[in-house]
Amino acid sequence: MFSRYFKENFQHKIRKRRRKLKKLIILVGLLMFVVGSMSMVGTAHAGKKLKAGFIYVGPVGDYGWSHAHEMGRRYAMKRLPWLDSVYVESVSEADCARIIDRLIQGEKCDVIFTTSFGYMDATIAAGNKYPNKIFMHCSGFKRAKNVGTYFAELYQMYYLNGLMAGALTKNNKVGYVGAFPIPEVIRHIDAYALGVKAVNPKATVHVRWLFAWYAPGKAKEAAEALVADGCDALAFTEDSPSVIQVGQEHTEKGEPVFTFSHYSPMEKFGPDSAVSGQLVDWGIMYERILKDIHDGKWTNEDMWWRVKEGAAHLGASPDHKVNPKFVGKLKSIMVSTPDLGKISAYDLVMKRLDQMKRGPEVFDPFVGPIKDNKGNLRLKKGQRATKAQLLSINYYVDNIVGNIPK
Amino acid sequence: MDSLIVAVVHRTLVAGTPLLLGTLGEIVTERAGILNLGVEGMMAVGAVSAFTTTFVTGSILLGVLVAIAAGTFLSLIHAFVSVTLKANQVVSGLALVMFGLGLSGLWGKSFIGTPLPTRVHDLKIPLLGNVPYIGKMFFHQDPFLYVAVILGVVFWFGLAHTRCGIVIRSVGESPAASESQGINVSLVQYLSTMIGGALAGLAGAHLSLSYSRAWAEGMTGGRGWIVIALTIFALWNPLRAYLGAFLFGGIFVLQYLLQPLGIPPNILGMLPYLITLMVLVIAVIGKDARRHAAPAMLGEPYLGGEG
Repeated sequence: MFSRYFKENFQHKIRKRRRKLKKLIILVGLLMFVVGSMSMVGTAHAGKKLKAGFIYVGPVGDYGWSHAHEMGRRYAMKRLPWLDSVYVESVSEADCARIIDRLIQGEKCDVIFTTSFGYMDATIAAGNKYPNKIFMHCSGFKRAKNVGTYFAELYQMYYLNGLMAGALTKNNKVGYVGAFPIPEVIRHIDAYALGVKAVNPKATVHVRWLFAWYAPGKAKEAAEALVADGCDALAFTEDSPSVIQVGQEHTEKGEPVFTFSHYSPMEKFGPDSAVSGQLVDWGIMYERILKDIHDGKWTNEDMWWRVKEGAAHLGASPDHKVNPKFVGKLKSIMVSTPDLGKISAYDLVMKRLDQMKRGPEVFDPFVGPIKDNKGNLRLKKGQRATKAQLLSINYYVDNIVGNIPK
Repeated sequence: MDSLIVAVVHRTLVAGTPLLLGTLGEIVTERAGILNLGVEGMMAVGAVSAFTTTFVTGSILLGVLVAIAAGTFLSLIHAFVSVTLKANQVVSGLALVMFGLGLSGLWGKSFIGTPLPTRVHDLKIPLLGNVPYIGKMFFHQDPFLYVAVILGVVFWFGLAHTRCGIVIRSVGESPAASESQGINVSLVQYLSTMIGGALAGLAGAHLSLSYSRAWAEGMTGGRGWIVIALTIFALWNPLRAYLGAFLFGGIFVLQYLLQPLGIPPNILGMLPYLITLMVLVIAVIGKDARRHAAPAMLGEPYLGGEG
């Protein structure tokens, strides 16, 4: 008897609850409708929200390329209150199209940044597929109505690093650890070598190739090989501080090796060895691009930013352009220049930086006469390299030893 | 030229150290019949745990101990899957690689771009360290190298000449026969796998505390796979592991010294694997083929006897 009572009571309760649920659903539906229409009203008045999706080729933990882009994304997030963003890391080139689909369809992104050269064709294809979304592809050369390109160029900073390396080297042998023999890296090595030559015509530049963008062990052994070969100033293109650490270890053992940091601030890995370096600033580019899109001013032009626009900085640390430990020494080394006469190496670096900040018309490393190391004249006296020439450069200038591997 | 040779030998020994440590551990594991392909993952977790521990506490020793513990813990997973559950060891080992690499990336995220505040100093051995050339090459070295070299001798002697070694080897050759002799096969396999994990963790600690002195994702750079090849190269003999580890290390170092001569790095990079293949061929067709063969039950789950 008791059980029957319970059963009925229970069924009654369930029925009651169902009715309540129905009411609740209707209420929520109504609420959603009201809120929805409200938010639509809201967007019509205030500036609209924007969501950006970033695709990185490496892990953001590489302390190099992808890490620098991630720093840029965070900077833009801090600066732009209306910005919402997501990122996907370690995306292989083959997966790029699938990830773009997910970011647009799943995450509802309005803008997609694809940050590797290998994403180029996938980005162009996505531009066709989603004509009302905007795409920005980093380091490529293909554009479409809604696909733009952008790049932060560092060769000018490499030239300044070369000025310091040429002034500081005692053995007149300067080294460079390169990632891949492609125009971007060759341009950096040439600029570095031109800097060395400007202050120290006797010095030669020696290169070792890693055939990897990120390989701490290989970079370390390549740097050790250069030091064993007699080089006492090293610059590099690789996404870890390995070369700086090698310089620091030798410096601590009493054989000073001067190093130049690459891409991220690495002075802390070699406080007695890292003289200066190049720092990239993607944040300022991302802020500008997103602002333009937000304000409806965006165009698909190629953004190729150098020191003038603020995408490249000199230094191995955000705090100073030259490690204070080396400032005195650089000030004491006098060099002669055709336009500025006798000047200290430190003042020359600062003067050239200032000139380059005013624009490549005022000063640029790639102004003739420039010969390659086979003896061919590549730029005539007074001729300044064009952007197209710089982007396709494939020769070593005349103070670099060896051949570019094929 | 003299200084160049000294530098090459010195660098070779350092580059070979993590390979030697990992290989010694894998030899013990495989001698007991367990194939653990997860060395790369265990090394990565060893590297990140050593780095983070030393970074926070400032103690290198503590970092090393935590790395050994972390490597051992990961190998326990493999031992559980392959000994207790008797599942496929190749799958479990590969899963361990993915798991280890992923875990290490996650663990180390906030330590990227921070240098290690302390450092492992080269240890100069009294008297021997003062001998010209030789001293600088061999006796003024990374402490991890000394540990690896001593462990090599201990493992060789242990495997070849002690009862403990015979037990491990017999379990790898014939677990059924071993069990009939009263040996606890599961226990031996568990312990051997754990030794492999501990040494892989130690190798990782060398990479992050001494070799690179930094943490970055993927810093093991395939060394775990080289260890697998080296174990075969050594034909499961700790003494031959020296030869293999320093040969591989030497080729790694020489790549960049020989580059100006126009020798493509790809060919030098291939050499160790080509040599491994040659060693395998020679071992199979040679006179001592039976002595050089892999442990008979390598990778085979032991299903037998519940007593």
